[in-house]
Amino acid sequence: MSIRICNLPFNSSFAPQPRARISSRSTRVFARTENDTQQQLNLSVLRFTFGIPGLDESYLPRWLGYGFGSLLLLNHFSASAPINEPQLRSEALGLSLAAFSIALPYIGKFLKGSVVEQRTLPEEGEQVFVISSNIGDSLKEDLAWATYVLLRNTSTIAVLISVEGELCIRGYWNCPDQMLKAQLHDWFKKKVDEIGLADVKETLYFPQYEVWFIGSSASWDILPNGTRSLFVQPLIQDINEPQKMDGFLLVASTAGYAYSDKDRAWIGAMAEKFRG
Amino acid sequence: MEARIILQIQILWNPNRQSFRRPCLHLPRFFIRASSSTSQKPRSYKGPKPSTNLVADFISRNDDLARSLPIYVGGASLLAVLFNRTVSGIAPVADASSSQSRADLLALGLAVTNLLTGLVWLSIRPKSITPVNPEGVDCKVVDSDLPTSIVSELLWGWESLKLATCCKSLVIVYNGICLIQIGMVAESPQDKKRVVVNTDKLMQGSVYRGVMKSKAQSYLANLSLYPGRSELPFLPANTQAVILQPLGDKGIAVIGGNTIRGFTSSDQAWISSIGEKLDATLGRYFVDSAEVSREKD
Repeated sequence: MSIRICNLPFNSSFAPQPRARISSRSTRVFARTENDTQQQLNLSVLRFTFGIPGLDESYLPRWLGYGFGSLLLLNHFSASAPINEPQLRSEALGLSLAAFSIALPYIGKFLKGSVVEQRTLPEEGEQVFVISSNIGDSLKEDLAWATYVLLRNTSTIAVLISVEGELCIRGYWNCPDQMLKAQLHDWFKKKVDEIGLADVKETLYFPQYEVWFIGSSASWDILPNGTRSLFVQPLIQDINEPQKMDGFLLVASTAGYAYSDKDRAWIGAMAEKFRG
Repeated sequence: MEARIILQIQILWNPNRQSFRRPCLHLPRFFIRASSSTSQKPRSYKGPKPSTNLVADFISRNDDLARSLPIYVGGASLLAVLFNRTVSGIAPVADASSSQSRADLLALGLAVTNLLTGLVWLSIRPKSITPVNPEGVDCKVVDSDLPTSIVSELLWGWESLKLATCCKSLVIVYNGICLIQIGMVAESPQDKKRVVVNTDKLMQGSVYRGVMKSKAQSYLANLSLYPGRSELPFLPANTQAVILQPLGDKGIAVIGGNTIRGFTSSDQAWISSIGEKLDATLGRYFVDSAEVSREKD
């Protein structure tokens, strides 16, 4: 057990990490701060740590809550003779404190400057990259660049951009292998039409996406296993501009609460590029 | 297998069906409702809407209160345990002999955990820095020789920066020409109009040369501490932070912000991606136009 004084400069390098280095089994946690433009994390403070790598001390209240709560119950049931009232009061207080401690890491996740989970790559499956062939070269280049940048700069593992019905798909998707690119494009188009994503009028953000939650429609299973966050940004925001391009942008990540306000603002800016 | 095919047929041909949690196996319907509008109009969205998380909203809005909450809870329960002891007439002795003391000790341990967690949360509170309004004139000047596609790309870049970051001024110089000067611009004291970008002076200065040599983005988080400030006279005098993004080896984008350390590492990554894209687009345009002018001669 040790107390470590952290005096790190804030500008940690944001070099894009090659995929081969990210282990697909472990969840690495590091302090990428989720902050507004006006705030800066003051890191020269005393931080309590056991010094064991890979152990996340912010979950300590939860473990202590479970441990002490179970000891309280043990104490209650192993007590001989009728239990008097003051003890019952103490035990009630102790159990409610234990419940609160168990909830503390969850509350701490929403505070500013909290640690954000890093994405894990799906274990099976390969990356796909499919662009419709019915569009011009400059749009193809823009789509390729936009999907690449979204995969690199956010914790996205799968991205799909639809412009006037033509799709560009990149990343890890749950699609049949051994299909030709043209067939794969049509297969995705069919699935997307079934969900009706082109009709979405406002942004949709699911920070805790659960498979059962979406419904029985089989089309949602194109998303890779382990998807925890989903964000859909339609290109059209205003029906009074009919000459603008129709479509949407979908990003998915294996980290929960992966898209902060800033990430969503940047994804909206990317969508603006394709509005025409 | 049969059931799955029937279910799929139902999904395809019944666009108005509600989405259920579990697949409901209806009796097979032997007529198919042919809707001719499915090819033109997008099918209506059948998925769920995101639900609001009340806890998350409350905590993000009342950050300070949420941080000190564990301290109050821990402190109050500490006092409550002692009070309980005194009220019930048992001596406040902290030994593990009776089961009452054991329960009290466990409650005390949890109270202390909460207190310490609250203290840790308070100590890692981010410092909030107020933005400073840049002094100058608002302007939008784009080089007139550029084609519309390039202009729209540059304006898209400006809109994204304005929306997603604390950027308030943008100047792009490429191939010795100032392509765009947009946002808040310093006001020249003589004629009360915007300060024009002197590209020759900029390109001979140490700031530009340093960025071109390192070929990497340069982030001046607190511009007032930087001596090369005088080489950027076109930015408002109280610009707080500046990012200098090289566009390949022929140009530079100067992005001014209104908060000290206002650009996060995420912003820096996005800005360098946009810089690469602009360099590709502008490079191609200028190479093409150079070829065209060579053919004309």
